[in-house]
Amino acid sequence: MRYPQRRGRLSVPGRTVLLATAAMVVATTLVACGGQSDSAPKAPATIPELTKDPLTLSFIWFDWPPAHALETFANAEYTKLRPNVTVKVKTVPNANWHDAMFTQFAAHKTDFDIPILDSQHIGEAVTNGNILDITDFVKKNIDVKAYNPYLLAAYGQFPQAETGKRDENASLYGLPLLGDTWTMIYRKDLIGDKPPQTWDEMISVAEKCQADNPGVSGLAFHQANGSDAAAVTYNTVNGVYGGNLWNPKTRKINGVLNDAAGHEAMDVLVNKMKPLTAKGSGNWFIDEVNAAVAQGKACIAFNWIAASGGLLDPKQSTLGTTREQILDKLGFATLPSQKTNLVPLGGMGMHVSAYSPEANQAEALSFMKWFEQADIQKKWAAAGGVPSRTDALESPEFLDAAPFNQVYTDSVPRMRDMWNVPEYARLVDIENTNVNAALNGAKTPKEALDDIAKEQQSVLDAAGGKGGGGL
Amino acid sequence: MSDSAPLTTDQPGQVASATPPAPGRSRRLSDRGLAVAFTSPALLLLLAMSVFPLLWALYLSFTDYSATRGGPAQFVGFGNYTAILASEQVHLRALTTLVYVVGAVTLQTVLGFAIAYLISRRTRGRGLLTTLFLVPMMLSPVVVGLFWRFMLDAQFGVVNSMLGSIGLGQVEWLTGQRTALISLILVDTWQWTPFIMLIALAGLTAVPRYLYEAASIDRASEWFRFRTITLPLVWPLLLIAVLFRAIEAFRLFDLVYILTSGGPGVSTETLSFHVYKVAFLGFNTGTASAYGILMILVVIILTQLYLRYLNKLKED
Repeated sequence: MRYPQRRGRLSVPGRTVLLATAAMVVATTLVACGGQSDSAPKAPATIPELTKDPLTLSFIWFDWPPAHALETFANAEYTKLRPNVTVKVKTVPNANWHDAMFTQFAAHKTDFDIPILDSQHIGEAVTNGNILDITDFVKKNIDVKAYNPYLLAAYGQFPQAETGKRDENASLYGLPLLGDTWTMIYRKDLIGDKPPQTWDEMISVAEKCQADNPGVSGLAFHQANGSDAAAVTYNTVNGVYGGNLWNPKTRKINGVLNDAAGHEAMDVLVNKMKPLTAKGSGNWFIDEVNAAVAQGKACIAFNWIAASGGLLDPKQSTLGTTREQILDKLGFATLPSQKTNLVPLGGMGMHVSAYSPEANQAEALSFMKWFEQADIQKKWAAAGGVPSRTDALESPEFLDAAPFNQVYTDSVPRMRDMWNVPEYARLVDIENTNVNAALNGAKTPKEALDDIAKEQQSVLDAAGGKGGGGL
Repeated sequence: MSDSAPLTTDQPGQVASATPPAPGRSRRLSDRGLAVAFTSPALLLLLAMSVFPLLWALYLSFTDYSATRGGPAQFVGFGNYTAILASEQVHLRALTTLVYVVGAVTLQTVLGFAIAYLISRRTRGRGLLTTLFLVPMMLSPVVVGLFWRFMLDAQFGVVNSMLGSIGLGQVEWLTGQRTALISLILVDTWQWTPFIMLIALAGLTAVPRYLYEAASIDRASEWFRFRTITLPLVWPLLLIAVLFRAIEAFRLFDLVYILTSGGPGVSTETLSFHVYKVAFLGFNTGTASAYGILMILVVIILTQLYLRYLNKLKED
């Protein structure tokens, strides 16, 4: 035998390796089992003293034009006030947006200071203690009367506010960054200057336009099963036809979503609207709808206002060689109404990561206070953003900046949001996949809606059950 | 140079003396110490990045732990495992995955072997052809997914444009209930056929020439030579390539994520994609861990059966 001495004590290097391994396993276990908070920590009412050292204030958002506009705007304007600060807006693909933020929250360590959350993400982040409670900060530093109460509530309040209202006793966890809703984009040269006023009229106009213009589809809208694409489309039609997504007080979905109005909405979407869309458009989202409009392939389209800027760029359009020529053909209007005039609430708020260093948290609060000032909101509007302060929404800086901005201002009193609950990601996935299945013929409209209601109800009923289930 | 020392001894228990350390080398750092010093970083990394997470996932799979919702993990026994095995949603994804694995691997094996066979018969340009065929394999699956997504777009894609130019209609490649899974199989085949081809080519090159020469003397037909010489000798190597590809295809995630997001509906959701949703949309960490462990078990069991078959083949 070559190494009989192995029977004795381990050699010094062997023991070192063993000890190091044990230490690593213990350390990793401690990290993995790290303590968790189940309530949001509070931000101070007054902004703490800010650092004079160079500091990078990091946001996280998904990759779309407003994210780039924000970085440019903040570095141009905020640095006038805080020259030692650089603003960085980290972007991820839209489909990864939720995961990119919440996997870092789960690790209790974030490489961003200001997560830009969808309004429906707030419940999940608050319940897990991932973002700061800024109620006291808002009371002391923000003029809340300058906002439509529902906008302030939608981007910051938890528990969720009733549609159109704000509960002044509820806590706030965020402030508006970018307002948004759907705009109807229509071809003035094909259907006339006057946009359809009702949903039924819109469908018949689109039908006629498609018949009169071979190669041009009547409608273009979001149908993809990623992000919240198909879900927002159904929710919009559901709202317009008088349906409800749930009863927040009793937490009932089954029997509410799939009531007569809900079924009518699904029938309209699948059997009347879908046949007017382009073949193979079952995976379209923001970019594909914009591409169809820009290439003159759709009579009427629906898209988020904040993503519509590119439609006016002659380099991206076949509708004209100048912005004016494009605007001769494209019109923007608020959504048609039917039984109600509800429109989807889009946009996002900014929040403060609970795991950010103190200096960065202080800087984040400073940024938020600066950003919500009247003159800065108007500058943000002029830079391509959609503000939330009422004075900014009615200002010429905003209304003259883009032809669809008036649509947003007019839509604010008509907005309705989805469910802002910790289970949001699961709820929206269930709705997305089933609506997408109905739109692509994998399920009948009735089957899809009943499945959504049943599966979403089981998710809500299992709420608080921690990490089991989820299938 | 020191004199060589014997490595064995006639006296039991006596330490065999190895070559004494070179001058200047620390007396405490024996050959074994040196070996431990060199291997320990890799071992520690392996322990921290692979072994520990696996054991940790195994532990979590018996709990209701959630990575985001806090609170201590409660022991639930085999609850997560029984829920997964009884779930209709999981059965549906398992069937999709099975169809995908069988379809993709079969197609890749047939095509890969055929291409390798044709290349092996060429004497000129074999190296260049092999290199060209290997290009798709070098690309990132995400990049492959993205450009195939554009090419297969029903309205703006080049594939439908070509079909249109020869008078064929538009195909809804990524949004049709049947075509979406076929599209996934085709894209995966485009990327991974070269892998099978490469291994088959190695096998074909290793077949001794004299066997073919002997067969030629006996006036054996081309088909007879292929059936009795080529295929039996390449078959074991080909089966190993099939095993690798089947394991890879079984855990397919990236192409699904980029090309179809599991749609239409959930008709192209594979098991891996479903685990991802359970783990990161609902943060049902306990369930997702059990799901992952079950997938590993399936792969291990199938691999063992497969290896046994391979060994039997070798013995025969």
